[in-house]
Amino acid sequence: MKILVCIKQVPDMESKFKLNPEGLWYSDANLAWRMNEYDEYAVEQAVQLKEQLGDAEICVLAIGPDRVKEMMKKALAMGADRGVHIKDEEPWRMDCFGIASLIAAYARDKDFGLVFTGMQSQDRGSAQVGTLVGEMLELPVLSTLVEFSFEGGRVSGKRELEGGVRARVSAQSPAVVTCQLGLNTPRYPTLPNIMKAKKKEIQTLVSSELGVQPGRVEMVRVAFPEKRKGGMLIQGDISQMTSQLMTVLKDKFSII
Amino acid sequence: MEATREIYWNVGPAVLLPMYLLTAAAMALAGFWFWKRVRVYRQGQSLDRSADLKQRVLSALNMAIMQMRVRRGGGAGGAHALFFWSFLVLLVGTLLILVQADLTDPLFGVRFLEGPFYLIFSLLLDLGGLVALLMLIALMVRRYLIRPEGLVSRRDDLAVHGLLFSILVTGFFIEALRMAATELPLNRELAIWSPVGMAMAIPLQSLAEPQLRSLHQVFWWIHMLLVMGFIAIIPLTRLRHILTTSLNYVFVDRGPKGALRTLDLEDESAEHFGAEKIADLSWKDIFDTDACTQCKRCQDQCPAHATEKPLSPMKLINDLGQVAFDDPEAALCERVGTDALWSCTTCRACQEVCPASIEHVGKIVEMRRNLVLMQGEFPGEEVTAAAENLEVNGNPLGLSFSARADWAKDLDLVVAGQGGEFDILYFVGCYASFDKRNIKVARSFVELCKAAGVRVGILGEAEKCCGEPMRKMGNEYLYQMMAAENIEAMQASGATKVVTSCPHCFNSLAKDYRDLGFELEVQHYSEYLAELLEQGRLKLQPQAFDCTYHDSCYLGRYNDIYQAPRELLAAAGGRIEEMERHGSESFCCGAGGGRILAEEKLGSRISEHRARMAAQTQAPTLVSNCPFCLTMFEDGVKGAQLEESLVPRDLAEILAERIDRP
Repeated sequence: MKILVCIKQVPDMESKFKLNPEGLWYSDANLAWRMNEYDEYAVEQAVQLKEQLGDAEICVLAIGPDRVKEMMKKALAMGADRGVHIKDEEPWRMDCFGIASLIAAYARDKDFGLVFTGMQSQDRGSAQVGTLVGEMLELPVLSTLVEFSFEGGRVSGKRELEGGVRARVSAQSPAVVTCQLGLNTPRYPTLPNIMKAKKKEIQTLVSSELGVQPGRVEMVRVAFPEKRKGGMLIQGDISQMTSQLMTVLKDKFSII
Repeated sequence: MEATREIYWNVGPAVLLPMYLLTAAAMALAGFWFWKRVRVYRQGQSLDRSADLKQRVLSALNMAIMQMRVRRGGGAGGAHALFFWSFLVLLVGTLLILVQADLTDPLFGVRFLEGPFYLIFSLLLDLGGLVALLMLIALMVRRYLIRPEGLVSRRDDLAVHGLLFSILVTGFFIEALRMAATELPLNRELAIWSPVGMAMAIPLQSLAEPQLRSLHQVFWWIHMLLVMGFIAIIPLTRLRHILTTSLNYVFVDRGPKGALRTLDLEDESAEHFGAEKIADLSWKDIFDTDACTQCKRCQDQCPAHATEKPLSPMKLINDLGQVAFDDPEAALCERVGTDALWSCTTCRACQEVCPASIEHVGKIVEMRRNLVLMQGEFPGEEVTAAAENLEVNGNPLGLSFSARADWAKDLDLVVAGQGGEFDILYFVGCYASFDKRNIKVARSFVELCKAAGVRVGILGEAEKCCGEPMRKMGNEYLYQMMAAENIEAMQASGATKVVTSCPHCFNSLAKDYRDLGFELEVQHYSEYLAELLEQGRLKLQPQAFDCTYHDSCYLGRYNDIYQAPRELLAAAGGRIEEMERHGSESFCCGAGGGRILAEEKLGSRISEHRARMAAQTQAPTLVSNCPFCLTMFEDGVKGAQLEESLVPRDLAEILAERIDRP
C-alpha cells in the first residue's frame, strides 16, 4: 500500500514572533523551525502501519521554501521512504483551500491507500486541510483520531469528542485520517535511520506548476493581542480583603 | 653453633623432584585456566593500552606493592595491605630458600642464609607469618561475623580463606616441629629469632624425636600440597585478583581523566553504535570485570545506590562479567537493567575510589549510546523533549535561541562578530543564559571581570548547549552537532581564551572538544578568578562568614580542581566547615550524566541527601560553583525542609558582594 503523510514546518512556539511588513502573517526572520506537532503523530502512525503491513511505502509531502526539507529529513529518519517537496516561498499566502488543492493535485492519480495529516497546524490552526483534501479526492475523512487500527483494508479509530466522550468510527480505505494529540508517542529517530535518511530521495515540485485553486478565505490582518493590564490580587483574612475591595471599588472605579 | 638451618631437614633432597614436578603441574594448570579467561577478554574490541609501557609497569608495581589504592579503604584496606606485605615477605623468604638450596649452593657452593642475615630472615618470616595470620583472622571475622552491609560472599571465598589459613598454620607447625627437634634442644639462642615457632615448639617438646620427625614429614607434605592447590586455583577464585588487579594497574586509563570514546560519525559504513552485546565493549572492559574484588567501595560511594536507585557499580561490573563468561550473546542493557543504566550521574565517585582502577562510567555511557542511538530510547519523555529542544533551539530548556543573550542586554558586553574587542570569551552555558537563578551567577561573574578590568565577550545567539548532558545520556550524535557549531563559532570569534562558569561546559570544551579539533585555552571561572586575585587585578574586601563548600563532580573528580575555589572563599572571608564527603569523595548533587534533564522517579532525591549533609555542618551557606548543583540545591533545601537554615549560593555571587572598589 502507498501511504501519503502531509506535514508542515512551523516555528517553535517559544520563538520571538514579529509581524511581517504587510501585517498578514509573522515574519520569517530569526525563527527556529520544527515539524508541526500533530504531523509528528501522523508520521508515527504511518510508520507503525508500515511496520504492521510490511509491504508499504510512505511518502511525506511538505509545502514551503527550501528550509522545509530539514523537517522532511526528520520524517524520513523516523521511517518514511521518500519525500515530495512542493516548493513555494510564501505558502502562508494560500488559504486552506489553496493548500488542500495543491496536495490533492499531487495525490489525485497516485493511488494512495491512506492519507495521514495532522489534525491542525500549530501556527494557523484552521484544522481544515486534511478534511478538504479528503473532499477534493472524494475520500472518506476520519478526523481527530486518538486511536487507529487497520485491518483487512478497513480503517477504524476513535475520535475524541467534547467532555471526554469518544466515538468509534470506521471506513473502507482509501481514506484520509487526521491525527490528534494522544494518538501515539512519536519515536526518536535512531542514528542509522538518520544516516539512511540523508540518502533518501526528496523530489521537488513547484507549486505554480501543480495548479493551485484560488483561495476562498482572505487574511485581512494579523496582530498581537492587546496587552491587558495586570490583574490585582487581594490577600489577607476576610475582613482585610473586604475592606481592601471596598477601597478599590471606591477609589479606582468610583462605584460606591 | 652457627646461625643457620638445614634446608630440607628431615625430608631430604628426595622431595625435590616430586616438589618441582607438582609446582610445575600447579602452574601449568593455573596457566591453562588463565588462558581460558584470556580468550574471554579477547571477545572485546581492540584498545591500545600499551603506550608508555615502562611507565605503566613501574607505576603498577608501585601501586600494587605499596597497596596505594587499597590502603585508602579504612580498616579493611589496612588489614589487606598488612596481609599482602606479610605474605610478600613469606613469598620472598621462600624464594630465597629456593635460590640457595637449588641454585647457588649446589652450583657454586654459595650459602647466604647464614649468620646475622639468617637471624633477620628468620625473624621476619616468623613475624610475617604471624601478621598474615592475624590479618586473615580479622578479615574473616569482618566478612563472616560482622558482615558489613552490601558485602557479597560466595562459597569459594570461604574455601580461599580456609586454604590461606591452613597454609599459614601448617607452616607454623612445620617450623615448630623442626624447632622442637633441633633448635630448642641444641641452639636455644637461635630459636629466639623465631618467636612464634618457639612458642609453639615448647609444648611439642614432650614428644619424642621420632614422633616429631614423622609429624614434621606429614605436615610438610600437607603444607606443600596446600600451596600447590593455592597456585592452581588462583584463576578460578577471587584469588585471581592478585594477577588481574595488578595488571589492571598496568592497563589503567592514563587520561585525560574521564574522557569518553569519541565516535566517528563521519564513517558511513558504521551501522552499529554503542554496546548492545559484550563484544561491543573493549577487551579492557571485560578484563575490568575480572579485576573486580567486590570490595563494594564503589557501591558505598555511589549517590544512586545511596538513594535507593537500582544501580550498584559493583553489581553492574559483575553482571557484565557474568555475561562475558556465561552468556556472551545476551542483550547487555537488558541484563544490566535500563533503570540501573539511567540512574548513573556519571559522578565518577566509583572510579575514583576503586582500588582496582576499574572504569565504570565509560561502560555505562556505551550502553546508553546503544539505547539512544540504536533504539531511540531515553529515560523518559522529558528527556526526549529536551533532545528535540536542543535540535531546534540549541538548549535543552526549549527557550528561543534568539533570547540566549537577553540576560546580558544591559551589561554592555561585546558579542563576538559584532565588532569590539574582548580579553576573554565567556562561554555562558544554557542555565546561566536562561535560568533565572543562574542568570544572577552569570551577572556576578561579569561584574567580577569588570572590576578586574577584564573585557568580556560572549557568542550571543551563536552559542549552543555544550552538549555534555546529551553526550552522557548517550546521544553522541546530538553532542557532536552542538560541539561542531560551538567550535566553529568560538574559533571564528577571535578569542584566545575561553572561560566558563559551568563545570560541564568546562569539561566539554577543555577535554572533549579536543577530539573534534578545538584548540583554544579554556578555564573554569574558579581558576580564572583565583589567578586574577593572585595577580592583584581582582581585589576583594573580605567579610567573615561561615559556609560549607560542595565540590562538583566535574570540577573536582573530573578535573582535580579542589584548591582554587577554597582559596577564593578564604579570600572573601569565608570559613569552610567541610562536609564529611568532600574533595574527591564529594557526593554528587544528582544532576550529572544528563540527569539534570530527567525526572528523578526512583528512590529518594539525591539533592535532598546532599542538602542534609550540608546542613549537618551547621554552616548557614552551601557554596557551589556549578549551575546544575545550584539548581539541584535550590530544590534540595526545599525538599529537605532546610530553607530556614541553609541557603545555596554560587561562589561568584559571594565574591561579587565583596569586590573592593576604590
